[in-house]
Amino acid sequence: MRPEDTFGYAMTALIQQPRRAGLSLLGVVIGVVAVIFLTALGEGARLYVTEQFQTLGTDVIVVIPGRTETTGMMPGFTGTPNDLTLDDAEALLRRIPEAIRIAPISMGNETVSYGNKSRQVVVLGSTPAFFDLRGITVARGTGLPEGDIDRGANVAVLGMETADELFAEENPVGKSVRIGEWRIRVIGVNGPRGTHLGQNLDQVSLVPVATGMRMFNRTSLFRIMIQVRPGSDVEEVKRKIEAVILDRHNEVDVTCMTPDSVVSSLSAIVSTLTLVLVGIAAISLSVAGIGIMNVMLVAVSERRAEIGLLKAIGASHRQVLLIFLMESLLISTAGALVGLGVGYATINLVTWLYPAMPAEAPLWAVASVLVLSVFAGVFFGVLPARRAMRLDPIIALSSKG
Amino acid sequence: MDSRDLLSMCSGTLRANKMRSTLSMLGIAIGVASVVLLTSIGEGTRVYILNEFSQFGTNVLMINPGKAETSGIPGAMSGTTRKLTLDDAVAVERLPHVDAIVPLTVALARVETLGRGRSVVIYGVTPSLPDVWKFEIGQGEFLNNTDPRRSSPVAVLGPKVKRELFGDENALGKMIRIADTRLRVIGIMAPKGHSLGFDLDDAVYIPVALAMRMFNMEELSEIDVTFAHGGLVDIVEEEVRELLTDRHRGHEDFTITTQAAMLDVFGKVINGITLAVSFIAGISLLVGAVGIFTMMWISVGERVSEIGLMMAVGATREQVQRIFLLEAILLTTLGGAVGAAAGVAMALGLLAFLPSLPIEIPIDFLFIALAMSVVTGIASGVAPARRAAGLEPVEALHTD
Repeated sequence: MRPEDTFGYAMTALIQQPRRAGLSLLGVVIGVVAVIFLTALGEGARLYVTEQFQTLGTDVIVVIPGRTETTGMMPGFTGTPNDLTLDDAEALLRRIPEAIRIAPISMGNETVSYGNKSRQVVVLGSTPAFFDLRGITVARGTGLPEGDIDRGANVAVLGMETADELFAEENPVGKSVRIGEWRIRVIGVNGPRGTHLGQNLDQVSLVPVATGMRMFNRTSLFRIMIQVRPGSDVEEVKRKIEAVILDRHNEVDVTCMTPDSVVSSLSAIVSTLTLVLVGIAAISLSVAGIGIMNVMLVAVSERRAEIGLLKAIGASHRQVLLIFLMESLLISTAGALVGLGVGYATINLVTWLYPAMPAEAPLWAVASVLVLSVFAGVFFGVLPARRAMRLDPIIALSSKG
Repeated sequence: MDSRDLLSMCSGTLRANKMRSTLSMLGIAIGVASVVLLTSIGEGTRVYILNEFSQFGTNVLMINPGKAETSGIPGAMSGTTRKLTLDDAVAVERLPHVDAIVPLTVALARVETLGRGRSVVIYGVTPSLPDVWKFEIGQGEFLNNTDPRRSSPVAVLGPKVKRELFGDENALGKMIRIADTRLRVIGIMAPKGHSLGFDLDDAVYIPVALAMRMFNMEELSEIDVTFAHGGLVDIVEEEVRELLTDRHRGHEDFTITTQAAMLDVFGKVINGITLAVSFIAGISLLVGAVGIFTMMWISVGERVSEIGLMMAVGATREQVQRIFLLEAILLTTLGGAVGAAAGVAMALGLLAFLPSLPIEIPIDFLFIALAMSVVTGIASGVAPARRAAGLEPVEALHTD
């Protein structure tokens, strides 16, 4: 019997019992759809996280005040013995040749009001470099003023949403708003940027960094973002930053972070989570395999006479085994293919309904789910096929069927 | 035909097809077992986190600077124009229902002794901390200056910091240096271990006023407030809100979190995650149900003449339908029971090997799992049973 004959024979047997074949296939389809859909969501989440940080560029180092050897406590949310100051920021720019731009950042929550409308927003104090580093554009007016970072002019660039809510149809540029107790002139409005790194940039208000520190009565910066020359050795620059800080503070009381290191640890976490969920979903594939095995066992006992006849006209053990294996293999493979189709359709439907939700089934998932289904087909098909192979032709032929 | 006959007839059929029944049950069992195991882990995590929080008691609330309105995080990390100050804390302490307060600042700094140093978390606190946080003192005494605005240069070490800096030597009375300030060690905390990822043993406690001066802070990170019992929580929350709003010139620029609200949020999040994961595991149950449906359908086809005979000797369509439905329910319920038992066994096994894993078997969920199995049986058995009941007895008898 040639392979294509085995295939044809198994195919015919399946087509004769369309409902049965369909139901066995359905189990595999459900399992495959679950696996594909979940990996797509997981991979989408990973891509989303990566994309969020990649806009920062791989050439950015974030300096956060505070350093700890303890687990759990994140630096940057607590007090430190030495303030991280604007002078530190300027010294870093001056003394590290690789640093081409810096964005010192101060931060606070305050009410912005205009006329009788007011709104609680995050106020970020920084420099023009911040706009480039975080991919913020200026839609109207100008961005933050260039020049001496110690000079804190009382000006602000409003986030798009904040501007819309306070000014509605009016042009905010040139108007004065009140931020907390301060009178601030609006010099520009941000273009839309949306949520970036967990912060809705359309709702923030940007002021010069010195203004921000004065406003919130802060002596220490929230953090410093440093852009280094493309191609520089980031680790080397980190060491230089620590050396400058050691020189100025007598101890290294800052933590340097690169988007790269954050991205790789975050994406590792997301990938692990995805794998666990997919593993749980893949359990259903084994249940589907058990279903196939059950149906094949029934088929073998129903077709005893047929098997007897096959053997009587000279089919070898191997040929009988192959015929039945081929049947379960066909069910599982067809199930996997249909499952892939349905899975992709679901993914497309979801991304069409929720365009903000990234979902993309990675190739490795597609490949492994195919391999897994084929494997399940063979694994759970072996027992019924062997039972068919072992039938005694004489008894099989004489049995009713 | 009474229900006992029905049951024995069904179990007879299932026994006659041992292999088939076992496999069908196995499918359901795998599904139920994975759901049970995963909910056990989810429930364990929930209980663990609730315990971590409730060790502080229900008679606690926290005040943080900043209003969590737009950014989602209360302003501990960012500035506000009107600070949450020590004077605020003292005013809160004078409120009628308030028992004790702990004004709190958090800083990261290097602690040094002769030749050794370690960067750790420095908590600026007041003497009431051990009571409010339910901490025990291991050696010496805790901060004892009752006026939070006074700042004597003393420190209490967490046991891990003590070990790192002094080894087995006595540390009481020794001097340490933090941020260019010399402090005398007056006490060592008893080991407390990790709580929610924070290593509480790796910290140093100093008077809050001193911490604010040393680290140049103008604002507290938090004020913890205790009161007589949990029933007062609403009253105290309202009192605190009124007082501080008044002190901050009419602005509510702080966030009050009660223990109950926090537990509620965490409980909801974890329940949500557990539900989602169980749902994914439940896909196996669905596949198992499809398997049982298939087998029941085949079984009706095989037993057409038997059904014809039953009808010929007087079985009603209803009885025939009930027989097949019961068979399906029997399969899934047995499978579900086996699966639940296996899930519990796996959970207990995991717990035996890794006692630190948070695993808690939700007893009520076992019943839900069984109920789900019964529903699965009905769902997968109805169509085949109706098919059996719909057969024409005369034709059915003819079929061979």
